[in-house]
Amino acid sequence: MGEEIEGDFEPKIVGFTCNWCTYAAADLAGTSRKKYPPNSRIIRLMCSGRLDPMFVLKVLLNGADGAFFSGCHPGECHYIKGNFFARRRIAAFRTILKQFGLDSRFKSYWISASEGEKFANTMKTLTEDIKEQGPSPLRGKIL
Amino acid sequence: MKGIEQKYDDLEGLLKGLLERGVVDCAVIPRRAGKAVSYMLVTDPANIESPASVIFAPSFSVNAANLVKGWTIKEKVAIVAKPCEIRAAIELIKLKQMDKESLLLIAVDCAGAYTNQVYRENYTEIGDEVDSAKIKELEGKGIKLRESCTICANKLADVGDIIIAKGAGENVTVAALTAMGEEALTTLELPLEDKDLERQAEKEKIASEAKSNLEALPQMGSMDALEEFLQDCIVCKNCRDMCPVCYCKECFFDQPLGDPVGGDLLNLAELRGAIGLPASQLFYHLTRVYHVSATCVGCGACEDACPKDIPLTRFYPVTTQKVQEMFDYVPGKDVEEPLPFTTYEEDELEDRLSE
Repeated sequence: MGEEIEGDFEPKIVGFTCNWCTYAAADLAGTSRKKYPPNSRIIRLMCSGRLDPMFVLKVLLNGADGAFFSGCHPGECHYIKGNFFARRRIAAFRTILKQFGLDSRFKSYWISASEGEKFANTMKTLTEDIKEQGPSPLRGKIL
Repeated sequence: MKGIEQKYDDLEGLLKGLLERGVVDCAVIPRRAGKAVSYMLVTDPANIESPASVIFAPSFSVNAANLVKGWTIKEKVAIVAKPCEIRAAIELIKLKQMDKESLLLIAVDCAGAYTNQVYRENYTEIGDEVDSAKIKELEGKGIKLRESCTICANKLADVGDIIIAKGAGENVTVAALTAMGEEALTTLELPLEDKDLERQAEKEKIASEAKSNLEALPQMGSMDALEEFLQDCIVCKNCRDMCPVCYCKECFFDQPLGDPVGGDLLNLAELRGAIGLPASQLFYHLTRVYHVSATCVGCGACEDACPKDIPLTRFYPVTTQKVQEMFDYVPGKDVEEPLPFTTYEEDELEDRLSE
């Protein structure tokens, strides 16, 4: 790990997505044959509100180069207000990460079930972004 | 607010009166044991002796809210403590860990405190109370305040049901901030009058000093720095146990996932190539700082509790303050104000999600 030649670096990204929107958007991107980089591994949650920032912390500490979360647009939560609470938690958690220079490796989006194209584009930009940032400073560290 | 001017000597009668007249069933009050100061849970008023010599004592050993958390049932408890401890109690009320009706919170003005060890060792020089001039003088002699006190912007008592505010000399103002507090003072048959205790200028001075002290603290800024900072941590979780607002009955880090042993550890090592021991130093502290991010009152009990003398103030209050600023939330300020994570606004924080 961490030995790839620069330029050949393929980041590992772990994504947490809501079952009702982004997970379906990822599905739509697939069925409509949109191409996007295969660097992300998606974990399905039932709602944005299920996102415990500890999940993100754990993947980052275990050497993921990036992590993202994506859920229903604010106001469109399947469970009415899960994403409003999630937004506060994510903002707080990113504020903490920011102080240790890790916030740029955890991003959060709102992508609805019909936005397959947006999902594919987001994955492209995110992967490019993480590639540019290089391997995670926590990769290969003895933690 | 309603209040009354009193002398130091009157405070004994006041606190005894609360027990004698049944305003409260018991009280948690600082007590002196030789040069040292700690707390007592008192039911018999005869045990309260010249409280003025001890309630202002600049010594911090444990957060009083942490002592009361978890056992308030229906008896009413008075807590006489520093503002940070009262603010912690208010956060615990909001977290539904304590019952508002069974507490009478009495906040006492604080000028900053020394760790109980420093206080005991230097008692002859520090004495029963300090003010900012005395603190400066003592600092010259190498007797330093706790770091968390130097960055505390809320030292003046302005929370709880009743406040005991220091005036000039041996004068204090006892004032009620809530209906419960006023009722308590009325039961004591004190001649209450309208008090205007606006200490805005003083508060601003303390806040600006706190801010410059905070900025002068060494900043970590990177994971490498944090890793090094926490290198000595033995994950004893004493900072969690002594933290008033870290309240889960079953902590994640006491369960197999958070406290891996044996084969689990080996699996982790296999996944990573190597893992540091004691396990989960970073995971534990980063999780905990997120858990207390909205409610940390910055009392510094974590630092005092650390057996390895890690200056945790530079991590916990410093980090959580940024989160609290974002939500414009001062923990413990207002018992009616909802906790940031239990409420939301429809349109907010969008710029904090992927910048």
